[in-house]
Amino acid sequence: MIFDSYEAYRAASFAPKVCILGSGPAGTTIARKLDAAGIPVVVLEAGSRDFSDESQDFYRGSTVGDFYFDLDITRLRFMGGSSNHWAGWCRVLDKQDFEPKAWAPDTGWPIRRADIEPYLPEVHDILDLADFRPDVPISDDIRWVQLIKSPAVRFAEKFGDELDKSRNIAVVLNTYATELAGDGKRVTGARLWSNGRDAGTFNADYFIVCTGGLENSRLLLWSNQRSNGGVVPNAAALGRYWMEHPTFEGGNAILANYGEFEVDDVKEAFFSPTLAAMERLKIMNFGIRLIETPYAGVKSLVADLACTAPDMAEWMSSKLSQNLRCAAQLYVAWEQAPLASNQVELSKTDVDHAGVPRIELHWKKSELERRTLVEGLKLFGTTLIEKDLGRVRLMDWIANGEDYPTNEETAGHHHMGGTRMGTDVARSVVDANCKVHGMDNLYVGGSSVFCTSGQANPTTTITALACRLGDHLSKVVSV
Amino acid sequence: MSFFIKKMSRRALVQALVALPALSVLGKLPDANTAHAGASLADPDEIVEVNGWILKRSDLA
Repeated sequence: MIFDSYEAYRAASFAPKVCILGSGPAGTTIARKLDAAGIPVVVLEAGSRDFSDESQDFYRGSTVGDFYFDLDITRLRFMGGSSNHWAGWCRVLDKQDFEPKAWAPDTGWPIRRADIEPYLPEVHDILDLADFRPDVPISDDIRWVQLIKSPAVRFAEKFGDELDKSRNIAVVLNTYATELAGDGKRVTGARLWSNGRDAGTFNADYFIVCTGGLENSRLLLWSNQRSNGGVVPNAAALGRYWMEHPTFEGGNAILANYGEFEVDDVKEAFFSPTLAAMERLKIMNFGIRLIETPYAGVKSLVADLACTAPDMAEWMSSKLSQNLRCAAQLYVAWEQAPLASNQVELSKTDVDHAGVPRIELHWKKSELERRTLVEGLKLFGTTLIEKDLGRVRLMDWIANGEDYPTNEETAGHHHMGGTRMGTDVARSVVDANCKVHGMDNLYVGGSSVFCTSGQANPTTTITALACRLGDHLSKVVSV
Repeated sequence: MSFFIKKMSRRALVQALVALPALSVLGKLPDANTAHAGASLADPDEIVEVNGWILKRSDLA
């Protein structure tokens, strides 16, 4: 069932066991799992069926630190959540992403990759994916990795009919849970805002917060402030360890033969470091996206090379005459080292129309990440040399040690951390089952539970974790 | 003997003779801005970064 207003929902006298906040990939997936288990669930979605400026306005906020996107642009507030502007890239976090790294504090998850692998067949169905292929080592340091360009499932479009027909699911649109109330053991209700006014308190046995990788922290911070710590009793890490995938054009490559690497349907190939290389250089994970460059770009690149290495440029030029597709742009996205200082805070001065403080996001890239970028490109360049495949040129701002440019991709719109998973209550917010430490009936879904970001786009892992949480709740919640 | 050598002290003459072999080495010192010079003495497979390019030293020949 889908209701366009809270008033319409109330008239239906539906009695849910579970209340999910948010209808994005995590919320929708968990709701479908509970439906399959016969558990009645309500999904409260703050937005409506479509995009609107009025709804997006609730997402405005500010950023302190490095340049970042406007917070009302980098996510979407309507049914289906940010799946509505998802590009569709899919890959599960690497096995090594779940393991602690001695050179990077606060890394490591309380679960292993093997814990989510059983859910991958479901994830493939949900995201319309082909099977993933194993990584291919190119050298001791670099591996070819597969990112599948999926059809970019819009969750509301794909599952809208199913949700509407379900007798166990009630999706309630235009209903904003502004805060949760809690007594330090249980959530006792959610305060709602609908039709531009307070709509009272909503009750259910369980609450699952799936409002997105920024909004989860905001809601819990505000709720905890209003409940004097009654919603997240161990709040030292709440809002902290927030992460993105910084993304910049890092350089170019001239390739002797573009056909050396398997490329996907959009003529792109991806490369990441081996664990041995990460350990040796003490760097984070990264992904180099190799994109075919237009011919004009190839000529200028060869001309530049001629100034430095004339013979090599001549050789490349001869290759160029044989094969017009022999140069590439190199985009680098990397794993951010989790830092407590990168955090979601509540604005002290600015609130949304419902009176909830807006987000003040504190975000800075670290020196370790800069080294990851530089060493990553050098590793890739060295691999091309060792295999006699081509040569790499770093962008000037990297070679010259200049600041990050502000007119590039910047990041992936991937909002991770803030309610991270862990066993240490001082450094995490939820346990291995995504349950908030110390609370009996409060869970968190989505990428805010990520302990580390890896280099892969998060939606695949978000969906796998949501399947896992859905299964867990199906066993915990009694009908 | 030339006029200059007549004017030089024995000590200065010895110092000049000692320094002569070093002059040939100085003549081969690599340019601080490039890695071209001295290539014959270096590993041709060594990875170098020049003007932003990740290259093999032998690429610079």
